[in-house]
Amino acid sequence: MKLDLSPQDAWQPLPPSQWNEDAARHLLRRASWAAQPPEVARLMTEGLKAGLERLFPAKAGLLPKPRLISNLEDALPAYAAKIRDAETREQKQVLQREQRERQQQAIQDLTIKWLQFASRPENAVTEKWAHFLGDIYVVSYEKVNNPGHIYQHYDTLRQGGLGPAPALTKAVSRSPAMVRYLDLQDSKKNAPNENFARELFELFVLGEGNYTEQDIKEAARAFTGYRLRPDGFHFAANQHDERPKTVFGKTGKFTGDDVIDLAYAQSAAGRFIPAEMAKFYLSEAPLSPAYLATLGDWWRSTGYDLRQLAHRFFASRLFHHPAFRGNYIKRPTQLYLGLVLDLNINVAPYPRHSLNTLRLMGEEPFRAPNVSGWDGGRLWINSSTLNARRQLVETIFSPVNEENLNADEQVEVVAARSQGAGTFTVTEERLEKMLQSMTPEQITARFLDYFLPVKVGEKFRADVLSFLTGETDEAKRLARLRSTAVTLLQSPEYQLC
Amino acid sequence: MNNSYQALPTTRREFLAWGGKGIGLLAFSQFAPSFLVQSTLAATPSPEKDRSILVLVQLAGGNDGLNTVIPYEDPEYYRLRPTIGIKKEEAIRLDDTLGLHPSLAALHALIQDGRAGIVQNVGYPNPNHSHFRSSEIWETGSESNEFLPSGWIGRFLDNACGGAPGTAGTGGDPVAVHVTNELPQSFQSRKPQSTFGIRGGGNGKNRENLAFLEKLVKQDDHEANANASFLRATMMDALVTEQRVQKVLGGYRAESAYPGSNFAQSLRNVAALISAGMSTRVYFVSLGGFDTHSNQVNNHANLLRTLSEGLAAFQKDLVAKKLDSQVLTMTFSEFGRRPNENESRGTDHGTAAPLFIMGSHIKSPLHGTPPSLKLQKNKDLEFSTDFRQVYATVLDKWFACPTDQVLGKTYTPLPFI
Repeated sequence: MKLDLSPQDAWQPLPPSQWNEDAARHLLRRASWAAQPPEVARLMTEGLKAGLERLFPAKAGLLPKPRLISNLEDALPAYAAKIRDAETREQKQVLQREQRERQQQAIQDLTIKWLQFASRPENAVTEKWAHFLGDIYVVSYEKVNNPGHIYQHYDTLRQGGLGPAPALTKAVSRSPAMVRYLDLQDSKKNAPNENFARELFELFVLGEGNYTEQDIKEAARAFTGYRLRPDGFHFAANQHDERPKTVFGKTGKFTGDDVIDLAYAQSAAGRFIPAEMAKFYLSEAPLSPAYLATLGDWWRSTGYDLRQLAHRFFASRLFHHPAFRGNYIKRPTQLYLGLVLDLNINVAPYPRHSLNTLRLMGEEPFRAPNVSGWDGGRLWINSSTLNARRQLVETIFSPVNEENLNADEQVEVVAARSQGAGTFTVTEERLEKMLQSMTPEQITARFLDYFLPVKVGEKFRADVLSFLTGETDEAKRLARLRSTAVTLLQSPEYQLC
Repeated sequence: MNNSYQALPTTRREFLAWGGKGIGLLAFSQFAPSFLVQSTLAATPSPEKDRSILVLVQLAGGNDGLNTVIPYEDPEYYRLRPTIGIKKEEAIRLDDTLGLHPSLAALHALIQDGRAGIVQNVGYPNPNHSHFRSSEIWETGSESNEFLPSGWIGRFLDNACGGAPGTAGTGGDPVAVHVTNELPQSFQSRKPQSTFGIRGGGNGKNRENLAFLEKLVKQDDHEANANASFLRATMMDALVTEQRVQKVLGGYRAESAYPGSNFAQSLRNVAALISAGMSTRVYFVSLGGFDTHSNQVNNHANLLRTLSEGLAAFQKDLVAKKLDSQVLTMTFSEFGRRPNENESRGTDHGTAAPLFIMGSHIKSPLHGTPPSLKLQKNKDLEFSTDFRQVYATVLDKWFACPTDQVLGKTYTPLPFI
């Protein structure tokens, strides 16, 4: 399907005559993790505009700080003292190892808590948005090494993610995780470190080709003096280079915030986030510059308001165009959370189940491969990641042997159950209950229409039906039902949205 | 659906190319079983003993070249590197002016044996300091201001160089294998190529599911968009290759003791596939963590040790198996680092750096010329060998492939092979 919209028409709202259930499903599959029938129905009742106002609200829901992270933060000063005062090298090493293990547990716990939070229908859209912003303002636990800082970074993205972009960028420049990740804390008055300044221009605001090496060198001087203390960000005035700098042709005694404002004064800033949105939500092929220019000019005029941008983007004729239906490769987090929503189950509160699979599929939350985040698109897919995607479906359809869980995991399981979120797998019994009193034809229709984002042909449908009914032994009938669901969820079509 | 009847594919490769065009899978499904059995399950196609293989080793993050190959007689070096410089007495002597980082003892021994060498000061004009962009330039083989959609290895495969792709005998073997979670950009091709990634445990416990999945993958009755076709071709390929590769890796007996690092184990897996006689031409392994902006001394020493010991175990294994004459190994990194150290006892993004080549055909240890260090603060090295000259050498002398088809023009090859 060719994209046949003019740049003027592209960002106009979808005409009401084209708003239907297919469009609602498309919106949910792209802006959220999956298109659950109740969510589709709700959108149909309220309409596209009101629906988007709700899905992208003025204030996003906030993930509460996980207990393990607060505990770690509380214990940190005493622990640091203990390590410092250790009598022998061996004792010190033991304590350090202990500390690393606690941090490791805390970051795993944060990841699970995030997946649980993001899988609730009321948070799905804003959490995908935070995940999108986290793929721009990238930090990685590998380097940050502090679970509390990672939590705080994403909290910053949630709190400012639907406000003006310049304010968000300034908040991010003070995020302790970012200060560490891009070496701001090592940047000194007489020896500025260029890492942050470069990524600010290249990856946060403007994009490659819209600044010079000299702009970076000068901007780096404006970001000197950013430091971390145990209680958070601290500006060390004596390490800040107060002399004049020349950035984008303007000269002054600029601060870091001034440089961020100077960057947003460049017209390229209007196009940058829209281009990233198109890549994250729409299509791995870059959107034509003509489309980006129209949207970018308008977005600049709003003072770079992210919420207005989201509303306009997801309501647009371009977003809903047939050229973008059912052809985007799901990122691993979407595949995982989409399965959780599609199958009405809960995120399993033990890392082996979820985190290991996400890692094998190539997207471990909070551990981006490099400063530019994940490349995505077809690069998600190769024989080994496809294998991991298939394995995930198998895991979800296999009972958990709870005796193999360790004590911590069992505590988490009990806690999840007490909150009514204790269904981690799809058993054959559960599957049968879901589908009871349906004919094989109805079950086939339900699977195909519910799971797959593309309309398959009659032969495909017939293949599914004949496999489903191909088992005559009554004792194995349920197993065949399970096999049918598993295989459809492993199919190439289910990898798309 | 396109019903036009075309000549039937006679090789698995042709079949995959059809699948990429979105027309072949249905037609193919009618005779798939016998064909697949023939090409993949029956006797492995006889490995061509003299077939040349390239192993690419990516040093991700930007390896600090000046602390890898050390100009220990140059006072400028110690001026630029007052705290993190490698002392003359610590460097392992290569000649009267150059030495290796002390972590590279194993690699040094290979160099002394004539099994490894160094190409000095490799880079490209108008260098870019972005990890992402500079990796892209290296992996696509482009100019600094040019954006290519395919990788240099991908184009090598597309061009059917060396008679590998598109001819009988390829069987079920992937043409290129990566031991990384993501497909390297180097492998991106314009035509569908059967690349394969090793990571994660395969499991074929449910045969009936697999058979049904295979059927669905081949079902071509609805309009497939480009990504759907791509997913089908990749999944088909993966289903076929999966079982074979796992079997090879599980049963491999190495002839040398590989260190426990992920990197060394990745190389062990490469050795296993090579020694199984797979007709794969290119392998890609990655070692990350070279982005040493601060406190780099220990980190960099550990990384180089991992590199050196992994490579040495790999080469020893190949020699013992008498496969070393078939295999050329080459390192690369998106850039070197800034000649002057920064105030964090690390180094910022730079430009040119040396790279290593390893194999039984390496002629003389040092190639190219070392960089001049008469530089002002924060200035970068000026490269003296273009990275595409290295690629051209590999393509021309190792793969006997016309260089200009892959690189767009000809480059002067180097005399290391």
